[in-house]
Amino acid sequence: MERTVTYRQSRRGGGKLTQHLSSWLIMLPSILLFAFFLWGPLAQGIVMSFFTTRNVSLDKFVGIGNYASIFKSQEFWQAFGNTVMYTVWSLVIGFLVPIAMALVIGETTRGKGFFRTASYVPNVLPGLAAIILYTAFFSAEETGVFNIILKWFGVERQSYLTEMGLVIPLIVIISTWKGAGATALIYMAGLSGINPELYEAATIDGAGIWKRVRHITMPAIFNLGSTLMILQIITVFQILYEPMVLTKGGPDNASLSLMYLMWRYAFGGRIEFGKAAAAGVIISLILLLFTLLYTRVNRRKNDWEG
Amino acid sequence: MKTRLLALAAALSILLAACASPSATTGNVPGSDPANDPSPSPATPPVEAPSELLEVDSEVIDADLTCTITAGNYPADTAPEAEIAVFDGYIDILKKQYPNVTVIPDYYHYTLDTYISRAVGGSAPTIFQPPFTDPPILIDQGLVADVHDALEQFELVDKFSESFIDMLSDDNGRLYGLPRDGYVMGLHLNLNLFEEAGLMNEDGTPMYPKTLQELAETGKIIKEKTGKAGLVFPASDSFGGWMFTCLAWNFGAVGENAMQYQDENGKWIINLTSDACVQALAYVKSLKWEYDILNADTTTSTWASCHTTLGTGEAAMNFAANDAVSNPTAGAGLAVDKFAMVPYPAGPAGAYALTGGTAYMFAPDTTTDQAVAALALLKINGLLPFVTESTEAGMRAAQAALRDRGGPVLPPVPAWDDEEFVAKQREISEEYSNVDMRLYNDYFNSLADGSITLKGEEPMLTQDFYREITRAVQAVIVREDRDPLAALQSAQDNFQAYIDDQLGQ
Amino acid sequence: MWDLNKPRKAILRTGVIRDFDTHAIGVKTGLVIIYIVCALIAFVSLFPILWVFFAGFKSLQEFVSSPTLLPQALDLSQYTNTWSQLKIYNNYLNSVYHVAGSVVCALVFNGLLAYGLAILKPKGYKIVSSLVMFSLLMPATISIVPLFINIQNLHMGRFFTPLWLASGASAFYVVLFRQFFESFPGSIIEASRIDGCTSLQTFRRIVLPLSKPICVVVAIYAVNGAWSDFLLPYLVLDGTVWETVMVRLYSFSSQQTVNADDLMRAVVFAMIPPILLFFLFQKKLTENVVVSGIKG
Repeated sequence: MERTVTYRQSRRGGGKLTQHLSSWLIMLPSILLFAFFLWGPLAQGIVMSFFTTRNVSLDKFVGIGNYASIFKSQEFWQAFGNTVMYTVWSLVIGFLVPIAMALVIGETTRGKGFFRTASYVPNVLPGLAAIILYTAFFSAEETGVFNIILKWFGVERQSYLTEMGLVIPLIVIISTWKGAGATALIYMAGLSGINPELYEAATIDGAGIWKRVRHITMPAIFNLGSTLMILQIITVFQILYEPMVLTKGGPDNASLSLMYLMWRYAFGGRIEFGKAAAAGVIISLILLLFTLLYTRVNRRKNDWEG
Repeated sequence: MKTRLLALAAALSILLAACASPSATTGNVPGSDPANDPSPSPATPPVEAPSELLEVDSEVIDADLTCTITAGNYPADTAPEAEIAVFDGYIDILKKQYPNVTVIPDYYHYTLDTYISRAVGGSAPTIFQPPFTDPPILIDQGLVADVHDALEQFELVDKFSESFIDMLSDDNGRLYGLPRDGYVMGLHLNLNLFEEAGLMNEDGTPMYPKTLQELAETGKIIKEKTGKAGLVFPASDSFGGWMFTCLAWNFGAVGENAMQYQDENGKWIINLTSDACVQALAYVKSLKWEYDILNADTTTSTWASCHTTLGTGEAAMNFAANDAVSNPTAGAGLAVDKFAMVPYPAGPAGAYALTGGTAYMFAPDTTTDQAVAALALLKINGLLPFVTESTEAGMRAAQAALRDRGGPVLPPVPAWDDEEFVAKQREISEEYSNVDMRLYNDYFNSLADGSITLKGEEPMLTQDFYREITRAVQAVIVREDRDPLAALQSAQDNFQAYIDDQLGQ
Repeated sequence: MWDLNKPRKAILRTGVIRDFDTHAIGVKTGLVIIYIVCALIAFVSLFPILWVFFAGFKSLQEFVSSPTLLPQALDLSQYTNTWSQLKIYNNYLNSVYHVAGSVVCALVFNGLLAYGLAILKPKGYKIVSSLVMFSLLMPATISIVPLFINIQNLHMGRFFTPLWLASGASAFYVVLFRQFFESFPGSIIEASRIDGCTSLQTFRRIVLPLSKPICVVVAIYAVNGAWSDFLLPYLVLDGTVWETVMVRLYSFSSQQTVNADDLMRAVVFAMIPPILLFFLFQKKLTENVVVSGIKG
């Protein structure tokens, strides 16, 4: 996956300053957009987190008041614990499934294209539509799709999203269903990048299939997997749509996530933008940790700055 | 603000008790405004109306009034064509009365989150319809306009009941809106299931439960005989707490056992661990684990989905109000003669029913001229306490359309203190009646004869309060081993901490 | 040892199991199992989508009360009624506006920024570059509240403008472009500079014509991204005449203004365009997931 930069810009010539300036001018509109949509709000969020708001203006400076009241609330710790559970489950389910998929699909010859395509399709669906679709699957009534299927096997109807212990793993299953095909493709590409001669050489040395998996395939996957795992943690940590649409955080806050809590502060009937901003800062700090980890892991593989 | 909220609660009960006869209007519940459901909304539709509307009240009232208003109370784009045609008819009349007023249709389904966005972005509709839970926060946050002067021009201020003044005004007594309609909670029934379960009297009326205990037993019979849920119960989001509140009152969580009260120092106290609350929650728990009469998706059911569940015959009973009678019928296809509405079942400590309603409020930048124009439109619509040819035509149009869509046409629960107006509303609803009133009389009589006590929502941070209680409700529904007292204790501790934090007390 | 002279099979095995393994019986059974598992994967992936298409033919009564997977009849009028009654075509049209503007902004702004970062590299570009990389991992949703307030304060709400511009600030697209530009041979750019072209002219005459493949890829992502986006569109567009399909779908589900059967059909309507797009550009999408996924 190394990519060498083949081009080095020539920097000779007298109009060096003008050239720099014109280059910046070309980038300026885009930089302004980034500032407006991404960097600015992030910084403003920090400021806002120390204030109360009225309408959409800052009202009173409250110091760490917003943070204090967030940390004091049981809701926050529930949301935090749940978010960690989302992450753990997504490592158990969401991380391993694509690897398994890549391994088995990678072994097929005939129909490989079909399997790859089929498993990728859920990924192109709008997230919201996919989530709403699953309300019908997880309904606890006997018309729920899973209950219909269970009935064929004589199993009594079950409840799903209304079970405290099930709701998080089920939500993770939904997002795995949606995303696994795309992730599997990345693994497959990584695997197909393995030099076939390695396998052949290993065979000559008398390595059986399992040995080849252990000593050639697994290391390749691990290499890719460490990056993907951190990316996945970062994504799962921001889980919002699923609890928002499927359960409203219930039952008994069992699926409330940090992002959804933040959303609720702002738009859930209290209009507490300051508190929402504080929650946003807290989430950002946690993500920042993961991001640093990511850059560390990633630095070994790519050097972005050329 | 505190006093305003308290006053609102008290006020509502007084108002509705005084009027004591219900309305066929859309109302609402925490977090949802069914007024804009494609199904209900009897406030607007017509069929034979447009022609009538064209002939009335067309002389000019004020040619100098020049302004443009956006009408957020315009029907949804998914509404039947006829309903939209009637509203266009109202606008035509307005144009004749006020030739220089322009009305821009701007259908708006009010929700607090989107309203903030519109209000601060300068694009809130001139007039819109929030539920009674929201005016205090909107006024407090400066998100709505002072329309006191316009209301005075229409001589409406004197017709406000004291309670509405409290809810809709600021600390200086300036008014920011007006009531649209109210609702009183009762019990909706699907008579198909009552018939199937053999729970009908010979005269064709249902043997409905008069007490909460009977409700559990009736539900059980229905479950056994039909396999369908006895009761559909919305325990998601803030609905569970909302439902619980009314149950708890009937178990005695009122007066000195109130769930929210101020102590002698004015500090707000949350009291969810009274025997009354514990019994009420134990009751909910028994509905699930002892009687097993609840629908399976309880904790993801919302107010609106419950109406569908009842209307499609998946449940026989639903705690719901008079404002939503067209949801299970016109909305979900239940024939109007297979639907009934009966009083809220009494509990061991009395008979209480929750009341609430919907207001009209105005975008923060609304001028007095615009407010006058918007009020003129409401007047034509038949929603202000005036009886004129055009208001009468408006009322007829609404009832006719409701009847055509298969919703029950019922007597009104008026929002204004005006006998002539209320009498006219009643007369027209009788004229268009499509129901056997014996299926509704007990409900309406209970309001009139005072056998049921009407009570407004709990006053403080209502939606959040309900959401906190919902957790306790969900806990006992999803976990058989969850102790009601422990669940309520946790909710009480959380909410006490939250309210202390919010009020700085 | 394998026989090099053995006639080649039509398709060569490329996984762990090589052709020479397939003779063993155990391996053969293993392969059968692998195929069964793959078929299962494909089934699980496609089943919910197929199901909802069929469930869309159910009436409300059938949907809530009959415990069967398939509808009793393929009554197309269910779909046409929902389509016209809920006036979803308006939302389709709005989504088309949203998507079109977003694609343009995504290409122009992200393309230019990547051009600067990958080729022009003016003094100090590394700061911007790191900020962009940082944004890749720190998505906008976290600061949606301040962003929302900014949009309101600038009175940009109630129309597509902020949504269009937002897609012009996508770290992901910048990275895609940048990877692509970095693979250009330096000599081409140099030659154009010697010919006296300004940076912008070089972009227009040299970079742009060569960038068609990456533009197509970014455009496909932008189409799908704009079509599927709902959080910011919900805050910006809800209650206006410009509501997109997703905003509408969200209000259907959250405010429960439609019945369950109509909701499922709305889901189908929301899924059709991305699925069509996918089958049209299948190769491009799946190939690029691979390239981009690893870095982004």
